[in-house]
Amino acid sequence: MLLVQQIVNGLMLGSVYVTVAVAFTLTISILNFLNFTIPTLFMVAGMVSWGLAYFGLPFGLSGPLAWPAALACGAVASILCSLLVERFTFRYMRTRHGDSTEHAIPLVSSLGFLLILENLIRIFYGSDSQRFPGPSSDLTTQIGGIFVRIPQLVSFVIVMVLILGLVWMMKHTRIGRGLRAIAENPDAATILGVEPNKIVPVVFMLTGLLCGLAGALFAVNYGEVSPMMGEDIGSKAIAGMVVGGLGSLWGAVAGGIIVGLVEMLTIHFFGADAVQVAVWGALLVTLLMRPQGLFGHNAIGKGKL
Amino acid sequence: MLLEVKDLEVTYGRTKAVQGVSFGVERGEVVTVLGANGAGKTSLLRALQGARKPQGGQIIFDGEDMTALSPAARVAKGMALVPEGRQIFVSMTVEENLLMGGYMRRDDGVHGDLAAIYERFPNLGERRHMKATVLSGGEQQMLALGRALISKPRLIMLDEPSLGLSPLFVEKLFDLIRELNSDGISILLVEQNTHMALEVAARGIVLELGREMLSGPAAELAANPSLAEAYLGAA
Ligand SMILES: Nc1ncnc2c1ncn2[C@@H]1O[C@H](COP(=O)(O)OP(=O)(O)OP(=O)(O)O)[C@@H](O)[C@H]1O
Ligand SMILES: [Mg+2]
Repeated sequence: MLLVQQIVNGLMLGSVYVTVAVAFTLTISILNFLNFTIPTLFMVAGMVSWGLAYFGLPFGLSGPLAWPAALACGAVASILCSLLVERFTFRYMRTRHGDSTEHAIPLVSSLGFLLILENLIRIFYGSDSQRFPGPSSDLTTQIGGIFVRIPQLVSFVIVMVLILGLVWMMKHTRIGRGLRAIAENPDAATILGVEPNKIVPVVFMLTGLLCGLAGALFAVNYGEVSPMMGEDIGSKAIAGMVVGGLGSLWGAVAGGIIVGLVEMLTIHFFGADAVQVAVWGALLVTLLMRPQGLFGHNAIGKGKL
Repeated sequence: MLLEVKDLEVTYGRTKAVQGVSFGVERGEVVTVLGANGAGKTSLLRALQGARKPQGGQIIFDGEDMTALSPAARVAKGMALVPEGRQIFVSMTVEENLLMGGYMRRDDGVHGDLAAIYERFPNLGERRHMKATVLSGGEQQMLALGRALISKPRLIMLDEPSLGLSPLFVEKLFDLIRELNSDGISILLVEQNTHMALEVAARGIVLELGREMLSGPAAELAANPSLAEAYLGAA
């Protein structure tokens, strides 16, 4: 029974990794670069939510209304931050160097953003973890003897709905098709009227939304935020994305959940110290047996979604 | 004059691909641009569609200066390019490819126009929900053309559409060009298949190393001995 409990916990944790892994996948497939601001956005959402809830800002709300409002603001902060990154690094680099698909420069500049923001927050808040005053932990329900925390269950459902919506959007809307066209063949897409300057911000906005949501949900479910909270989540989400297969949205979903399960089961059987070994070990084994990942295509990197 | 090109210049670093080319396309006319490999034909078309910024010159479409406008604006005004090598989206279905052609359209006639395309190309209709990769080379060229047509262009620019097609499909392609032209669409046709291009076109211009070498009515060009020597072979 305890094992089943751990599997449920693994699914819940996995859904956070899934959200962040999907954000990584979007930028990799469409813009061909590994966006290192993603862990930062996750952290910004968590820290802003915490700050607002802690200082009782902004609306004079009290009791059970304050923290959902704070979470929403955290997610919005993450979206704004992501658009800011696009406007002042990605777009600037692109016009300077004339190639929207050159990936080394955005990669490094996004890494720069990660470090600057993380350290700015550290300067202002200190590097300690802070408790997030979320819903009380006795909001639990029991399904067949398994304890499920209701906020976690709600988070899981929100994440899955968001990802289904994203997949639907990619397939059935004008913007979705435009994004896939830019991903596969920027040149042909441009000739048909897709404008990178208009559509690239959509990628960053979605990235901000996914990370903001993940950061907010993480704060609620684990009750703790810190300026470094993005690093661990970010690296595990990358592991999940690679296990699932680069460039595949469903691969990111599967990979994120697998990493969550591996983490919880490792804690169950071997203790917390073994988690990193198990996660990265699973990654290496997957890559040895199936270099393209579980759901990946044969070509690595650009041009698929 | 539907399209007017004045002193157009396109360069890549030190390579001068197009050096001061001027010509025009009348409403309802087919004009062909001929020239050997590297003459600058693709560079010319890409500059006309806005995919490459020209270093000099002017592009006027339907009386409006397009030179500074984005490709999107040019599509919206009625210019469409069928690029060299077709550039079909292989990760998309046939229908999604066609819908990409309607990217700039905001009206709701797109679905009716899709049906018209499927009627014209039944092979595309049968495979509308399959990946574009299942199409043969000839069918992919039809898809590229269909994609351009969905944008409701007044001018279609075709970059070597017959390249790599079987003789049967080349025939079909040129029939189709005549059909589209009789529907009132003006056509700028880049070709290496000089014979057939001069048959369908009213006028032609021959580029050499980015400059206009010859131009005039198609019949005159076909009879021109220096062109015959250079491009028409012994025939
Ligand atoms: N992206 C590019 N970068 C640098 N040089 C280029 C580029 N594209 C074309 N060129 C050069 O510009 C010149 C004209 O090329 P272009 O492709 O326009 O000729 P073309 O007439 O279309 O040839 P082809 O018949 O082979 O398609 C050539 O010298 C070519 O090497
Ligand atoms: Mg060419």
